[in-house]
This record gives sequence, C-alpha cells and structure tokens, in this order.
Amino acid sequence: MATRASRYARYLPEKKLEISLFPFLSIFLSVMGVLSFINILSSIHSPQKIEMATELEQGYKVAFQMFSLPDGIIIVPPVSRLKDLQEAVSDQDVKDELASIIVQRKQFIADIKAYKGSLDDFAVAPNVDNIKDLLKEIRFINEEALKHNVLYEEFILFGIYPNGGKVYHKIRDVMGYSKDAASISIGLEPLDANWTLNTDGAPIVDADLREVE
Amino acid sequence: MKQLINVDSLTDIVSNSVGILIILAVVTLIQDNSTAYQLEIPIEHQSELSPVFIIAKDDKLIVLDTDRIFTNAAMQATDGSAKGKRIFPLEYGQLFGQIDNEQGIMFHAQDIEGSKDWHHFTQLEKNDSLLRQQLNKIDPEKQFAYFFVYDEVAESNISGSGFESFRMTREYLKSRHIKSGWKPVDSDNLASICDMSFSPLCKYLPSYLGSS
Repeated sequence: MATRASRYARYLPEKKLEISLFPFLSIFLSVMGVLSFINILSSIHSPQKIEMATELEQGYKVAFQMFSLPDGIIIVPPVSRLKDLQEAVSDQDVKDELASIIVQRKQFIADIKAYKGSLDDFAVAPNVDNIKDLLKEIRFINEEALKHNVLYEEFILFGIYPNGGKVYHKIRDVMGYSKDAASISIGLEPLDANWTLNTDGAPIVDADLREVE
Repeated sequence: MKQLINVDSLTDIVSNSVGILIILAVVTLIQDNSTAYQLEIPIEHQSELSPVFIIAKDDKLIVLDTDRIFTNAAMQATDGSAKGKRIFPLEYGQLFGQIDNEQGIMFHAQDIEGSKDWHHFTQLEKNDSLLRQQLNKIDPEKQFAYFFVYDEVAESNISGSGFESFRMTREYLKSRHIKSGWKPVDSDNLASICDMSFSPLCKYLPSYLGSS
C-alpha cells in the first residue's frame, strides 16, 4: 500500500532539470587565459639568467677575471685569499704593498657592487698602460707567494661575451709582448649574453648546468 | 522585485586565473634562484701534443685538412696568386686564404652555406656522422683539438655564432679524453695558422683543468 508521502509525490508538478554551464565556462576561460598568458610570455621569452661567482679558484690557482665585452672589459680581481698571503709575508714593504693592492681591489669590487645599471655599461675600453700595470701586479703577487711558500697563484681568466673577441685580442696582443705576462697562466671561456656576475658573494653551483656546459 | 546581478562566476574566473598566475610566478622565481653558475676554469698549458684545427661558425664546424690547405696555398703562392696579401680560394669548405708575414695563413669564412665540409654540431648526436668520424680520428696521445670560434652574433641572439657548437664539441671530445683549446675569431681577427717564429701570438695551446 502506498504511503501518503509517495502518493503526494506522484502529484507534484514536474520540475525541469537545469544544467548549469557556469563551472565549465569558469574553468574553460581560466585555462584559456593562462594559456594565452604563457603564449605571450614565451613569445617575448627572455633567456634564463645565469650568474657567475666573483671569486673563483681551482686548488691554489685563483682567477683574476677579465670579462671581455664588445665595448670594453670588466675586471674582477680576487681579494679574499690575498689576505692570507699578506699575513704570511714577513717583509714589511711587501706587506704594505699587498695591503695597498687589497684596498684597491676591494674598492674595485665595491664599485661593481654599487653599480646598479647594466654591466655592459660598466665595461671600460682596455688601456695598454693599465693592462701592463695589472700584469705587473699579478706577477708581483705570484712571485711573493712563491718566495714565502704560500700556495697561491693568480691566473687570468677571460670570460668572452659575444662580440667581445676584439677586446680580448687587444689584451692578448699586449700580453704577447709583455715579460710580466710570460709567467702568468691563462684560461678563457665563452659566455652568453645572459650570463651575469653575481656580486653578492659566491652562488651555489648548479651541477646540471655545469654538465650542460 | 529588484534583480541582482550575480558576480559569482566572474569572481570565480578571476580568482582561478590569479591563483594560477601566482603559482607560475613562484615557480619561475624558484627556478631563477637556482641558476647560479660557477665557471669552469680550464687553463692553457704548454704541451707536446699537436693541434688539429677546427673552425666553429654559425653552429657549424669544419675540421681543417691542413695537408690539403697547405698544398693548395703553396701552389697559389708559387703561381703568384697569393702575392701581396691577395685573397685566394682554398677550394675547401668555401674558405678563402690569405698569407700574412705575421699571421701565417689566414682563413676567410664568409659564406659557408651549402658547403659539404661544414657540419652542423647536432651531427655529433649521430654515431655515423662525418663530423664524428673526423673527430674520432684525433689521437688523444698525440693530438688535441684547437678551435677558432666565431664570436660575432646577430643582435637578437645571446650567444656567439660558434659558441654553442664549440661547447658541444668540446664536451664530446672530453668524453673521448681529447684535450681542446680555443680562441675567439671574427672578421677583423681571422683564424690563422702560423709558427711561433712568426710572432709570439702564434700559440695554440690546449686548455684543461689541472687535475685532468
């Protein structure tokens, strides 16, 4: 026997089943929006930035970095381990000389850190006398380290940016005829335009990137 | 009765989109922080190994057949075609040669399109490619690869025209224990082969880490 409720339900007016398109439209439009955003991003895709350390060393060899750009060079001298050499030296004159080099180099690094514009604008055209002085300085440091049995040797590491070869060749021409340069080791690496200097200390090395390299 | 406009759907769409964009921004930021890179520092070393010269330009490479080039250059010099720094065809890789007192034989590589002697660096991925065959002939006990790498680049590009091919080839050679050295070249500073007796700049040295 039918209950009262079921009898009542049989006579209820039939209600149309309404399908709401709203959730579908919402998701569809959101996805479309994000896809168009990604599309726009990839069309104006700027290559990933890679940052390089300001202080580089391989064992006792420490890099005196010279970044060769189309309009000039950026010099990034090593400082931190030079202090150990200064402490190991007994001769006061040499100590003073090293102290003045350290002050100069620190100022150099500070100037680079303080510069907020593009590194390209920081590059200066290589000056023959300046290059000769730098070579003399590196030779002096290396010889003093050898004299005092300190495991420390500076070498010049050229970072060659696209179109930076002309500046590099100018420097190598000077070095080719310099006695000071004869004993200085040299390394060079090609750099892409999106590789920049990390001036806030040594960055973490990304092993994958090194493998790619 | 007043009819209220329902903004639920709009709010939903906007909040969905903004949420996804925020996630994307965070992911990008995290990726950006992990791209710090410490340069490898291969250092030039004096070596008894003899160089095998390679030019890298526009993502392509040519392994220089020096015997063929020098024979051709000598013939050109004998018949006077190479006199007075005149540029002459080397009939190899669409290269042109020029003889200079200081720089020895210089190579002009202007138009290399269509030459069968130049190989795209992606050919390194193929086991039987001609490029691989040529590189595999280098004897690591006696020879090393020396690259002249074009650094000239179009404004829209981020890499020198030969940088990528050089890096990839160097990596391949490293896996075969073959040392390599390089220098950047361009239209003003051409690739050249000369002897140390010409100039102190005529040095071709392999670069590698002290430990290798």
